[in-house]
Amino acid sequence: MASKVTERALSLIKSLPRVALTNIKDLPSAKRKKTGKPAGQKKKGRGDKGQGARNTWDPLGYEGGQSPLINNVPLERYYGKYALRRQYPPISLLELQRLIDLNRVDISRPVDVTAICNSRLYSLDVAKNHFGFHLTEEGCDSFDAKINLEVQWTSELVIAAVEKSGGTITTRYYDPQSLGAVFDPQTFFQKGLPIPKCKLPPQDALAYYSDPNARGYLADPEKILEARERLAQKYGYKLPDLSSDPVKDLLLMRKDPLQLFYGLEPGWIVNLRDKCVLKPQDEDYRRYYNTVY
Amino acid sequence: MSLPAACNNCSNLFKTLESVLFKRSTALLSVHKCIKHYSSEAEEKSDVIGDESKEAKLPLKVSRESKFPVKHSHTRLAWLESMDTLEGQKLGMVDLHPDVFATYPRIDVLAQNVKWQKLYRHIDYTFEPSRAELRGGGRKPWPQKGMGKARHGSIRSPLWRGGATALGPRGPTNYFYMLPKHYRALGLRVALTCKYAQNDLVIVDSLDIPTSDPEFLTDLADVRFWGYSVLFVDDTDFMPENTALATSQITGFNLMPAYGLNVHSMLKHETLVLTLAALDKIEGKLLEELHSTERNTKFVNTLKPEDFRKEPKKDYTMYKKFTQPLEYNRNFYDQATFYEDSEDQPES
Repeated sequence: MASKVTERALSLIKSLPRVALTNIKDLPSAKRKKTGKPAGQKKKGRGDKGQGARNTWDPLGYEGGQSPLINNVPLERYYGKYALRRQYPPISLLELQRLIDLNRVDISRPVDVTAICNSRLYSLDVAKNHFGFHLTEEGCDSFDAKINLEVQWTSELVIAAVEKSGGTITTRYYDPQSLGAVFDPQTFFQKGLPIPKCKLPPQDALAYYSDPNARGYLADPEKILEARERLAQKYGYKLPDLSSDPVKDLLLMRKDPLQLFYGLEPGWIVNLRDKCVLKPQDEDYRRYYNTVY
Repeated sequence: MSLPAACNNCSNLFKTLESVLFKRSTALLSVHKCIKHYSSEAEEKSDVIGDESKEAKLPLKVSRESKFPVKHSHTRLAWLESMDTLEGQKLGMVDLHPDVFATYPRIDVLAQNVKWQKLYRHIDYTFEPSRAELRGGGRKPWPQKGMGKARHGSIRSPLWRGGATALGPRGPTNYFYMLPKHYRALGLRVALTCKYAQNDLVIVDSLDIPTSDPEFLTDLADVRFWGYSVLFVDDTDFMPENTALATSQITGFNLMPAYGLNVHSMLKHETLVLTLAALDKIEGKLLEELHSTERNTKFVNTLKPEDFRKEPKKDYTMYKKFTQPLEYNRNFYDQATFYEDSEDQPES
């Protein structure tokens, strides 16, 4: 059933006069207050003389001479170096499951930043120091999708939830320039720039992205298999067998640490007008794009 | 560092690129299976619309497939009528999508739409010359001191009679703005909802009428309580000849293609008559707009001040037509002939 409010409103206008050009009106809140000098008014409602008339109020937090609260309370720097920190906007497992159920992401292909951003429901902003998505734990009990997932930050519980349902998960670092290309490829390709190579994570993130327990993309694949077993024992679920899986190829698809898009190498240029991909063959060019400095 | 082998065939690679990287969710939504609105019984009934069984099983329920079925509400029903005869025949029932024909009646959005339609094309040509543009006034009318009179610098000052207006309207002003696309679409849905809720929406199979006599159409409107002003909407702009001839002679009856449908016209006319094809088109477009996730692109107005410097001449023939009383002219002439007759009688 439709909302009761709608139904009541519809039944009401049935008995009202015909809705016509003469009897419609915008909401009263839509009217803007008239600004300007009111006629015959000298002091504009600000009283006679003093701080109010001259706009010389005490500064905010001033308590008339006694030591103000802001000076008495010790400083707690929760937001210290905020501008320098890497930000990972959250997306929960519940939201991800919803995207999958509503067919907003295609799980027959690996799910990464591009796939999530192409749903048009989530977006990243490089200017706000966004470095990718943080997959959070909400909805871990109801998550049931067999996917190849690539996110930028997760917790152990999330990894367990994804692997329990038969999928695989990787944590992957993108530097800001690469993230700008990855989260909106069409706009990036329109610029006609070569696909950049992805930089390695900075010092403080290197430990996380090479940790097999966090399924880091720089970790040893064999150690990741061991970590999968260990996690399954810890949470007490049976790990689905990957080797006999019909979609094994999909689940084990991984990008190269330098690579941004599946099937496209760094240094290539995608030409949208002629619908072709340009692959420069110059030796120096290729060496630059295929090596880590 | 080694990279995975890339696809050598360039066009194949691009196809996969297009499907993976650029596929927006609108395209994904269209993959959804179309679920039929009605039960299998209704479908069976709708299958048997044929010439032979038409008379036997009228009226029929005309079930239409919707791309965007809803669970939160039920579909609304409307009669499908014909315009062959004065009383007409009920050909069947049409199901209307609740997202278009049973939305919350946002009267304020209607007002916003009507205001926008009025303003976006409005250019204000009122102009008052400034004191610099008026003739004369360069000389100080009398010396500053020694005259015993108030000090003045120019005879064209706003204080003077015959002086300029202070802060008067200046030149053609452009009132163009664009209402957000969402509100334009919502306005259409609300207008259709109001028409349906107030029983002012009529759905016909076609706009064809048997004669081009305007009297037939006025009588038809009279019999069916359509009121004095009716808007006929078809999906194409090629209208049936009889209907076009008849409506051209009646003030208040107008024809419009589906692409021209707008809130102002719907509210201006008492009754809205849609053909089944027009209904399909309008409903489909509005639902597509409702479910699309495309962002609103900013509309750039290409109109420059040079384009509206001169005030265009008004076409007063149109003004005359619409300022006539809405009551049919026929009654007026009937009365006039009656008086002529009565004057004639005593003479004879």
